Amino acid sequence: MLSIMESDQAQQDPLDPRFVLAEADQARQRLAAGLRLPAGLHPALAAAVAVQVGAAAYGIAAQTTAGLAVALAGVAVLMGGAAVLLHRFRRINGVRIDGLSSQIVLGTGGTSTLVYMGGFGAATWAAFESRWWLVAVAAVAAGVGYAIGTLRWWHAYRNDPAAHAGGVSPRLLAAGAVLACLGFVALLIAG
Amino acid sequence: MAELDPLIHAPARLQVVTTLSAVSEAEFATLRAVLEVSDSVLSKHISALADAGYVRSRKGVQAGRRTTWVGLTSTGRKALREHVAALRRLIDVVD
Repeated sequence: MLSIMESDQAQQDPLDPRFVLAEADQARQRLAAGLRLPAGLHPALAAAVAVQVGAAAYGIAAQTTAGLAVALAGVAVLMGGAAVLLHRFRRINGVRIDGLSSQIVLGTGGTSTLVYMGGFGAATWAAFESRWWLVAVAAVAAGVGYAIGTLRWWHAYRNDPAAHAGGVSPRLLAAGAVLACLGFVALLIAG
Repeated sequence: MAELDPLIHAPARLQVVTTLSAVSEAEFATLRAVLEVSDSVLSKHISALADAGYVRSRKGVQAGRRTTWVGLTSTGRKALREHVAALRRLIDVVD
């Protein structure tokens, strides 16, 4: 085993593989540690998701053209809000992280997906029962849970940036948004 | 078994690809600030890595000014994974 002095000397040797790896890892951590989320990201995201879930529940239960318009407007609010938040993140930090985009737009994390699906299901059921207060509660719960899921993802990213940086590309996200809108239209027509 | 990759073996170049592995794309100026190197040094590294297909770069606009965005390609990510694995094996042998 190396003595403490020998170990320190090895760590300071610029050709020592341990030193080389540590320096590279520190550079990556420096980048990740310096990144900042836009102010108000979590409340804004929670509100956008709540609006989208509430609008979708109303639209599905209403089964009318007006309901379809409301549901699509909800999707537009979420997509527009997400686009603004991601643009601000990129402008503030000078980086793009597809993992964050996927988390914000698609809620790809386990927590976000579960809470969103639960809230969406509860809100839709409540809308069919005309219990509008419950629609609001479920929509807000979905929004808050979604935002918490994003916060959890952010902490995981800061701990291990390389493992969490990947995600769906912007083009695929745009295609996903179009598919989501078409899905709502299909759901309403089929209903 | 993967071996050391001469293209990213230099510590400065390994730092470039390792830092890029934390993001999908980084602005040239952001990368330069994190790595604390000059424009010309970073440009040379990016050019060499781009020629090998390890990184891609594109021109863009950030806050009204023209910028260059740089990102690792899948080839670059694979090369980094294999190089780091080779370095770790080397450390194990020494230890």
